[in-house]
Amino acid sequence: MTNTLHRQGTLESLKNDYIIFAHTARGITCEGSAPKLQKFMRICLKYHPVNIGDDKQGNIYKDDIDIQKLISNQGDGAGALAVFTDLDTLQKVVEELIQADLGISINISGLLDEVQTCCQRAGIQRHSAEHSLGFWGARDRLPEREILEFNTMCGHGMVSFNLIRKMIDYVKLRRLTPKKAARIMAKCCECGAFNPLRAETLLEKVRKGEREIQD
Amino acid sequence: MEIDKKKCVGCGNCHAVCTMGVIYLDEDGKSVVNQDECVECNTCYRVLRNERRRPWFLRTIRKILSFFRLGYLAEVDVCPTGALTLPELEWPRSIRAVFSDPTTVHPGTGVPGRGTDEIKTNDVTGRVRKGEVGLVIEMGRPGTGAYFRDIEKVAMALAKLKLHFEKKNPVTQLMDNPETGKMKDEVLNEKVLSAIIEMKTELERIPGFLRTLEMVQKEVDTVISVGIASKCLPDGTVPHEEWVKKAGYKFSLNGKTNIGLGRPLFEES
Repeated sequence: MTNTLHRQGTLESLKNDYIIFAHTARGITCEGSAPKLQKFMRICLKYHPVNIGDDKQGNIYKDDIDIQKLISNQGDGAGALAVFTDLDTLQKVVEELIQADLGISINISGLLDEVQTCCQRAGIQRHSAEHSLGFWGARDRLPEREILEFNTMCGHGMVSFNLIRKMIDYVKLRRLTPKKAARIMAKCCECGAFNPLRAETLLEKVRKGEREIQD
Repeated sequence: MEIDKKKCVGCGNCHAVCTMGVIYLDEDGKSVVNQDECVECNTCYRVLRNERRRPWFLRTIRKILSFFRLGYLAEVDVCPTGALTLPELEWPRSIRAVFSDPTTVHPGTGVPGRGTDEIKTNDVTGRVRKGEVGLVIEMGRPGTGAYFRDIEKVAMALAKLKLHFEKKNPVTQLMDNPETGKMKDEVLNEKVLSAIIEMKTELERIPGFLRTLEMVQKEVDTVISVGIASKCLPDGTVPHEEWVKKAGYKFSLNGKTNIGLGRPLFEES
């Protein structure tokens, strides 16, 4: 699963997009992981993530989701994640996770150099790293860059190109506010990796016809 | 996915939410799913809240409104009458849901989603070790979908390099022969939202891998997202960076970092 690896955007935009996730390995850290995953989520929640969830139960933007129930229902399983929009908060979360010593694997998706700095400041060295080498194949089938910036925030591909276009149109026509449109997109992303605050900012820019300069 | 025509009022909300864009209005003004192209991701079913309205009531309202040249706009994230219906899927169509719906746990991997843990648990599994590189070729992403006949083309080209396909990966498990990358015949015409070919090899084989992928990418009618991972050196350096640069490729500024808090840490002998 590489659901947070290929997020597109300008350097400026990606500076507000960090996903931290806990993951367990079958036969090693999965069994008995429920309380650790719950603790992970509680630590994240303390720092007000813009999204939080897991694959099995969904994220906080789904209808009728109670975050406390979502946490307490977390069983032994693959993992959970939370999205933050600045490095300082992320660092506080990392420091608290080090203190908590949960023993489950923790990953961060975001600007690699900034995450490395965050780790070093917290007194740890990163273990493994993964880069995206971009999109290959029939690239002519891809939509414009702005659509991809929204779509790649849900790596599972649950936020369709057509929904993004519809949300942009509705925002331009003032049928929806950027906030409401961003929440509808976030609702589609099952695991909670979608960053609704970044989406809202992007929608504001699109509404005003502003284009970002690609780094 | 199926749509119950007795219930559908043709509001069109499911058309936009459909990840493959394959729901459309039929001649009778009701929505229908192109079953060949649907990947059974179930996004429409999960996202659109069932308002449980009576179809006859909504149809009447719409007729009255249209008489006055007015329209009926349902909220964007609802299916007013609950017309979306989950079908019972049989093999081989059932693999569409396994690969496309992230809430489905793959029976072979025990992991939700389309791949394995790859480097996410590398601190405790030691899957990608010193001197090795993990290669992740996700076909159909972003937002395009992929047929297994295209996935097979890439897998067979890469198999010639004698790289190691990850045994626990769902695509590997659908191969007739992992030595050749040949997929089972019955799955070739199945379409999924995306599927991940995972393998690992030695760092120095990165340029050869990239050359092969460069060639085979021209033969497929879908997009491919490519990822590359390795275990960091003690000073935090990422070993594959040097090899990717040598091969003349660029990599992203953002990516994924395993920060090494899993216990017990995997120790290489």
